[in-house]
Amino acid sequence: MGNTLQQPFRTAVLVLVWGWLLFLVFTPNLLVVGASVMTRDPSTFISLPMNLDAYRQLLNPLYLDVFLHSLYMAAMTTLICLLIGYPFAWSLSKVARKNRLLLIFLLIVPFWTNSLVRTYALKLILATNGLLNNALMAMGIIDEPMQMLYTEGAVIIGLVYLLLPFMILPLYTVFEDLREDFLRASHDLGAGRWSTFIHVIVPLTLPGVLAGVMLVLLPAMGLFFVPDVLGGSRNLLVGNVIKNQFLDARNWPFGAAASIMLTLAMAFLMFAHRLSKRRIGEDGV
Amino acid sequence: MKKLALATMLAVGLTGCSSSEETQVLNLYNWSEYMPQEVLDRFTEETGIQVVYTTYDSNEAMYARLKLLDDSAAYDLAVPSTYYVSKMRQEDLLMPIDRSKIEGFDNLSPELVNLDIDPENAYSVPFLWGTTGLGVDTADVDGEVTAWADLWDERFDGRIVLTNDMREVFHVALRVLGHSGNSTDPEHIEEAYERLAELMPSVRTFNSDAPRMPFLEGETDIGMIWNGEAVMGRDALPTLEYVYPEEGIIAWLDSFVIPKNAKNPEAAHKFISFVLKPEISALISEDIGYATPNLAARELLDESVASDRASYPTAEDMVNAEFQTDIGDEALQVYAKYWEKLKSGL
Repeated sequence: MGNTLQQPFRTAVLVLVWGWLLFLVFTPNLLVVGASVMTRDPSTFISLPMNLDAYRQLLNPLYLDVFLHSLYMAAMTTLICLLIGYPFAWSLSKVARKNRLLLIFLLIVPFWTNSLVRTYALKLILATNGLLNNALMAMGIIDEPMQMLYTEGAVIIGLVYLLLPFMILPLYTVFEDLREDFLRASHDLGAGRWSTFIHVIVPLTLPGVLAGVMLVLLPAMGLFFVPDVLGGSRNLLVGNVIKNQFLDARNWPFGAAASIMLTLAMAFLMFAHRLSKRRIGEDGV
Repeated sequence: MKKLALATMLAVGLTGCSSSEETQVLNLYNWSEYMPQEVLDRFTEETGIQVVYTTYDSNEAMYARLKLLDDSAAYDLAVPSTYYVSKMRQEDLLMPIDRSKIEGFDNLSPELVNLDIDPENAYSVPFLWGTTGLGVDTADVDGEVTAWADLWDERFDGRIVLTNDMREVFHVALRVLGHSGNSTDPEHIEEAYERLAELMPSVRTFNSDAPRMPFLEGETDIGMIWNGEAVMGRDALPTLEYVYPEEGIIAWLDSFVIPKNAKNPEAAHKFISFVLKPEISALISEDIGYATPNLAARELLDESVASDRASYPTAEDMVNAEFQTDIGDEALQVYAKYWEKLKSGL
């Protein structure tokens, strides 16, 4: 009986999931791959013949510089998110269950405001005539306003602000699963706090760290509006290069090739994540 | 058979939609801060047509969106600058304007109609004209600034804003080198690029959303700014001055055009006529500080606005001024190549 009812439901779900993947994930990506091997055309955007010019253009040292600078800013963002997120998630998992829900709720509330709007708000805070400088000068901590807006630091602050929850949430789930008896066992076997942390807690939370790094590092290279608003003339992300190619320079093949490169970097990280997970599975439990 | 049923269903669905739609909508695609809210409100009040206002910050972005959304007809009215009118007209992206539905066209200054970009004004109606000049915050800048070349002065290191507009930025360097701002000579363009590459380390930011903002934020002291922005910026920063550089100001004219596939060209025509009313044109010019090409409106302008050199330059200010013209795709590609190099060069 149950089977006959389940069958159509199962089919519907499968069709929905596969249809979704096919039309909204696979097809667009295929179009991007297609565009990347076409020739640039000033009036129709892309045209035949097919070639790999766009990929060759990626090898231009100019873009390597942009990529490395972008990677640097994204890596700094990830590191800062990790340094703040790790202790944050740990203490979050120690809070009484009732309050914990409230805290997680507070963590998610900013998502209700558009991230572009929140980035503009940061601009008001960081400007030379902004809130932060005015407050610090009023308190007599500084005499001259600090230059914060339109710097590399401003971009990193913006990225950390937007992406921190994506680091905290996966870390929180691993800390929540962290079993007290492991820590007690470690203590009973004579390990001090530091050695328990290094040999028990860090390996057990590593999957959460990796998940958090993935969720922060790659978006951090693509959020083009953050440098647009906060970064001034010189702090480009790979996302800015892609956006400029599509909108301003109208070199779609090159923009597509750059975006494929970013996707490949993502795939590589996910692959590394899986490998490490398997290894932890083997020696961990 | 199945197909026919589907088509009928679709057709019924579509007519159902359009008949239940009570309020008409005009999708206006315009530069940011380029149309006072009051004008939109009064238009809706008078005609019952709702205006959906979407903005862009560069001709390139507007062009790409229109070209891309050609089939979906997302916009009924757009406002390209001078040379983009001719580019879009030649690429058949525009719908001819039905002059019989436009009232007040005759009020437009004869100097600003029937230009090369659209000889008979068959596809465009001038909206506003303005200039891109030097903005100087005199509170932070000692001594006089009189020329574009002053930007290269090392005392402005890290205090410069440029508009995020390829043609304008190159125009400045070309003028400094003594060439035309509309040069199509690859050698001139390369020379200009090299000159700009020297300037880049001093450039703090590019801004074509609201170039007055970096001045108000206290981040820049000097740079390229549109005259209307300078006028608006003075309200909050009285020391912001608009300078007409010796090498010549950049002049432009922004015109209304109707994209070829516009869903509601009727409303677009009505909107153009509405803006051409002298009192509305005057209100726009007073509010956002750009010059109206509408001569009847010029007479209604508040004296303080009409005599404001930033909005309405004198003949002397316009010496060496150059209007941007269509330079063709080939030259545009050369510009684009160097522009990209300039902006990604770290």
